[in-house]
Amino acid sequence: MMNEKIQQYIPKNTKAELHGNAAVFEVSASEIATVVGDLRNHSHLALKLITATDERKDRGCFKIWYILGVPKENVFIVPFIVLKNTNEFPSIVSVVHEAFEYEKKIRTFFGLTPTDHPDGRPTILHENWPVDVFPLRKDFIWNARPELAHGAYQFEEVKGDGIYEIPVGPIHAGIIEPGHFRFSVAGERIVLLEPRLGFVHKGTEKLFETLSLVEKVRLSEKVSGDSSFSHSLAFCQALEKLGNIVVPKRALYLRVLYAELERLANHFGDIGAIMIDTGFNFGGSHGARLREMIMRIHEGLTGSRFLRGVNVLGGVTKDIGDREKNTLSGNLAKIAKDFSEIIEIAENSVTLLNRLKETGTLSCEIAQDRGVMGVVGKAVGISSDARIDYPYAVYDEALIGEVAIEHDGDVRARFLVRVKEVHASVGIIQNMLRRLPEGPVHASISDISFEKNSFAVSIVEGWRGEIVYFIATDKDGNISRVVPRDPSCVNWPVIGDAGFDNVVPDFPLINKSFNMSYSGNDL
Amino acid sequence: MPIIIWTIQLILIPALSPLGIGLIKNMKAKLQNRQGASIFQPYRDIWKLLHKDEVVSVDASWIFRCAPYIVFGITIVVGASIPLFSSLGQGIISSDMLLVIYTLATGTFFLALAGIDTGSAFGGFGSSREMTISALAEGGFIFSLLTLALTRGTTNLFGISAIPMSLYDQSFLPTLLAFLGFFIVLLAETARFPFDNPATHLELTMIHEAMILEYSGKKLALMEWASANKLLIFTALGANLFFPFALAQSSMMGVVLIGIFAFIFKILVFYAAIAVLESSISKFRFFRLPDLLLISFIFNIIAIGLLNYL
Repeated sequence: MMNEKIQQYIPKNTKAELHGNAAVFEVSASEIATVVGDLRNHSHLALKLITATDERKDRGCFKIWYILGVPKENVFIVPFIVLKNTNEFPSIVSVVHEAFEYEKKIRTFFGLTPTDHPDGRPTILHENWPVDVFPLRKDFIWNARPELAHGAYQFEEVKGDGIYEIPVGPIHAGIIEPGHFRFSVAGERIVLLEPRLGFVHKGTEKLFETLSLVEKVRLSEKVSGDSSFSHSLAFCQALEKLGNIVVPKRALYLRVLYAELERLANHFGDIGAIMIDTGFNFGGSHGARLREMIMRIHEGLTGSRFLRGVNVLGGVTKDIGDREKNTLSGNLAKIAKDFSEIIEIAENSVTLLNRLKETGTLSCEIAQDRGVMGVVGKAVGISSDARIDYPYAVYDEALIGEVAIEHDGDVRARFLVRVKEVHASVGIIQNMLRRLPEGPVHASISDISFEKNSFAVSIVEGWRGEIVYFIATDKDGNISRVVPRDPSCVNWPVIGDAGFDNVVPDFPLINKSFNMSYSGNDL
Repeated sequence: MPIIIWTIQLILIPALSPLGIGLIKNMKAKLQNRQGASIFQPYRDIWKLLHKDEVVSVDASWIFRCAPYIVFGITIVVGASIPLFSSLGQGIISSDMLLVIYTLATGTFFLALAGIDTGSAFGGFGSSREMTISALAEGGFIFSLLTLALTRGTTNLFGISAIPMSLYDQSFLPTLLAFLGFFIVLLAETARFPFDNPATHLELTMIHEAMILEYSGKKLALMEWASANKLLIFTALGANLFFPFALAQSSMMGVVLIGIFAFIFKILVFYAAIAVLESSISKFRFFRLPDLLLISFIFNIIAIGLLNYL
């Protein structure tokens, strides 16, 4: 059954190895662009991740992995190429535009050059980092400090009469993460907007290779602090696949419940923040209030405002008692009612509507081309949601309904997608509370051993969008590579397209409606 | 004018203006379900800033160094030249309508110059936006006061405030229209909603705050104080020229006290209106602001047009 589903995506005369729900097969470097291009553009698979592994010690080669997902079927098609005695691989950007950032990242971190890639600049690593030190190679000594380099970063330049540049950041006025934005403007209109990130790079991927298993789970919670639960959930799920661990039913229900609570907290925060950025203070202060209520629920249930320390291999650490169940259900009903009233007032405010409508419009074409996902993707009408396309935990029983989509692609559409998702999340949580089965909340694990020479891919719909984890093990069953991919990595580059031709004072609002993670992007 | 009234005139604006800012902030906080800081917090802020060292960019010229004194000085001079609680000042030359308008414009001019002086991108677009707004606001400002000058037959502001207005007066409708026009100018000139958000931390959206972003310490204290003064000056103009009641007509102690209390009451009403406005609507998109200022101008043109038929 599984084989038939997969077979149609695999080129003839190729034998695919099956690792869980991932079909892995080798493709020669010269054919990779055609294979991946066909899978994405003709078979309509979704590109999830392109990454590399350094296997010079075991096999004397680098490998580049192209991970594609089959929506609704919950299987992954993973072609890879082997680079022996060469540091170059063919760029597939001309066929699959989405590969742009992934290939840049492979060049910067592995020193493997994508030939014919249109952008030769490094990504994430600062210009003070030496250009010939590649931190994700296995022979890189992670705890030594490399010498300070003095490189320069060339921003794209717009020439012409009356064009001037506004450099903003990396340090901003609010308590937000650091990132630099370079505006080229004519009067107030944005002609070019180029984000330059990487200021919170902390070597997460390398740390995943060195820390102990328990610490790895804690590290995944810190990839992007506001998505602590979703990130650790994605990581734990991938490990559970590799270790063949069966998670008890009650734990799966609780995972859905906590994940939706996290979504609620962040959507409330964002909805409020969007309103406050337009100066609509009424809505702004209520958004902050509702978010705080959810954060206190988090703390009451788990002892952590950000749901940290909850996910472990094989389940969750915090159970919910009957009394807590009833209070939570009551509180949620109250919060949902408050929220509806606030949104009604906001929807009736002409001045607010005027600021949100037609601001920061992202075209559907660009969004599809760049593989944009999550709230931003749903706001242009891309109906993709990992909870439905790749059901995990018990989402197949959670009755989510339709993916919340809008079509205008402006700030208002992103605002409305969040509003719809809030209502859906409240429904899911109430549903989970009603149907919570009895039983243990984590599997009893005495000795964990992972599959040898294997791979696992796990997808979780965080509140921003799809969080993907790719984990590889070596010949002893040790974890040799962990690649977390936050939706921010994919969505950041299109902020320039959304900002184009808007006025400069509207940019903070556009950025807020995207609200992407700097930490999750910079890793 | 008796020396006592003149002294009160001189210190009333700078003494009360920080309290006004504190009041607006506190009212806004209450309207938004927040506790809010004490209404005396702006005094503490100014006191704190006055005791701080400052950082001045090496690229700054004398304009950057002198602008705070000029801008602050102008608000003091204008504050002493407009009717606050009495109409006893018709002898003061600086209280002529045009003189007041253009002295204030000189302050704005130096503020904008100081914004571009250091060459920072934020100051640059702050000044550019400020000049766009104030150039468009100027027409509304002049014509709204001109309506009053025409009905009252004098361009001296104390003179205008000395003639009481009555509901049955033929000039009531033009005065009301002129007031609406003036109120829009007030919001634009004092950097309030829907023109500017005085509470924002987002540099890219700022107008007034972007111009003073490079200032710190004592000079920042002066700049902040000056903008508080300016807000009080504009509200005083609105309150006393368009609603000229309970102004002291003699220098008797009792009358003066009544005048001061009436002044404070009128100011409170204006500030409450601003606080409600800033809690209930969004800031406008930048390119819609000229429309609003044009509306102010049209109100005033209609007001003057009506006068011709009376």
